[in-house]
Amino acid sequence: MSTTVEVAAATEHHGGWLAQLLALARRSFVGRLRQPALLAPPFVFPLFFAALGSASFSRATSLPGFPEVDSFLDFAFAGAVLQGVMFGSVQGAADLALDIEQGFYDRLIASPVSRASIVLGRLGGAAGIGVLQVLVFAAILVPFGVQIKSGPFGFLVLVLAGALVSTAFGSLLMSMAIRTGSSEAVQGSFPLVFISLFLSSAFFPRQTMSGWFKRVADINPISHLVEGLRGLVIEEFSWRWAAQATLVPIGLAILGIAAALSANRKRAAA
Amino acid sequence: MRHPVIAEGLVRHFGDVKAVDGVDLEVRDGEIVGFLGPNGAGKSTTVRMLVTLLTPTAGRAMVAGFDVVADPQAVRRRIGVALQDAAIDPLMTGTELLDLQAVLYGIPKAQARQRKGELLERVGLTAAADRRVGTYSGGMRRRLDLALSLIHEPQVLFLDEPTTGLDPMSRLALWEEVRFLNRELGTTVLLTTQYMEEADQLADRIAIIDHGKIVTEGEPRMLKERIGAPTLLIDVPTDQHDAARDVVARFGDLRPTAEGTLGVGLANGAGGMADVVRALDEAGIRVRHMELNEPSLDDVFAEATGHRLEGATNAAEAGVADEPAPKSRRRGRR
Repeated sequence: MSTTVEVAAATEHHGGWLAQLLALARRSFVGRLRQPALLAPPFVFPLFFAALGSASFSRATSLPGFPEVDSFLDFAFAGAVLQGVMFGSVQGAADLALDIEQGFYDRLIASPVSRASIVLGRLGGAAGIGVLQVLVFAAILVPFGVQIKSGPFGFLVLVLAGALVSTAFGSLLMSMAIRTGSSEAVQGSFPLVFISLFLSSAFFPRQTMSGWFKRVADINPISHLVEGLRGLVIEEFSWRWAAQATLVPIGLAILGIAAALSANRKRAAA
Repeated sequence: MRHPVIAEGLVRHFGDVKAVDGVDLEVRDGEIVGFLGPNGAGKSTTVRMLVTLLTPTAGRAMVAGFDVVADPQAVRRRIGVALQDAAIDPLMTGTELLDLQAVLYGIPKAQARQRKGELLERVGLTAAADRRVGTYSGGMRRRLDLALSLIHEPQVLFLDEPTTGLDPMSRLALWEEVRFLNRELGTTVLLTTQYMEEADQLADRIAIIDHGKIVTEGEPRMLKERIGAPTLLIDVPTDQHDAARDVVARFGDLRPTAEGTLGVGLANGAGGMADVVRALDEAGIRVRHMELNEPSLDDVFAEATGHRLEGATNAAEAGVADEPAPKSRRRGRR
């Protein structure tokens, strides 16, 4: 029995929450990449929409109020990134709900892992996917003419924003996943994500909108987020765009993480 | 520690449903205790409270010397848990899952590496360690589940229906592994099962639970001896069932049986069987089938609860082909 006691003591000293968090984040990240069929919505669809928009709306760039861009693809890049990251967040939250459905969550909470690490580890994996998405979209669209006018530093902010946006929407959806424990309920939020994107300036500038649609887009935080991202693509580097692209998701992430941790505490203390 | 598991008046409600209704249980150090009962009896709910996954509505439980409510983290560090359905991420490999489990328990890397190799070897998964779990058979998943629950060398191991759904060979392999853990490493095991034979073969002591209450407990041999008389099972035509019951009731206590069959505990032992046959013949009752059974755990269960275990669940019926190693082979441990 002495070995058992030694191991028990070791777990009290070496069981750092950071190591647990990183191990769980790695699991989340690798698990996502091992489901090729589920990579289509967050990786392929946004690129398809960007290509379709670029082919169909190239002359829209000359509309009054349209930002000054070299091509519609420059304009569409930020929307594609946001769309991909938001779709990816749905999948990340659904993975957490699947853990609950299939009992892996019980395995975690029956271990001495820190409760926060279960949620934050998932979010770490989601953030990693967000970073990967920005890199993949840039790697594919830059050869087709997209120019990141804010330069390398602006691109780094875009990459950081990818992680933050993924964390923000991931945490909001994960709170739903933990509360419902149902991957179907989380997947059911997909149309809401789509609608919230359409009711924003993700695909067209607010300056070209009118009526109730414009009013909704004005108050939709996604509009302000995507405009920050877009500013980093189509203009010289500016702290204003950098702040907009990072502070909006940070604000949403604070709300989402608080909601997810609270839901997790309740579920773990059933 | 004399009793690594102590439950006193454990109660758990789900809304208006009383899933567990005052369970008292003590598991002695180094013991295998079988927690036997039908589906919905409260076995898993009790175990989930003991492993800190559920908070008791009332009562108290100490596991590995710590209160499950007041100090759940200390309990978690000292127990191993393999829940129903082997909840294992199918996208990860066996090696990755063992690595993850080692990190969750804060085991230093060098120690984790050594433990991982030992455990994979012991459960026979060394060759499959780098394959994704999604490609494993049910038996391999259960064995990996067991290895995961042992990575930190727990003082107490909780196995919740560990062999449900397994093929005969996998079931026997898992039984052998549980015996090894108990005999060679002195691990205390609390095992829930709905299989009579599993409890009979593995457990030093059995607690039978029904409708959220422990109805009887003790060593399997003693429980069976308490029943005493063997059970005579008689199958007669439906229209003669009532008449046959009146006849056999003269030879001992009627016992619960499967529908359509009569059961009587022969007060005069097996020798009374001939008298029953004669009496039935004299009464003009046509016997279709007759069977004399020595007292079994099923009889113990029926005696304690007034009904047979749902679905006549014994491991043989669930597909076990061979008898496992006799219990006497493991009596001399420690």
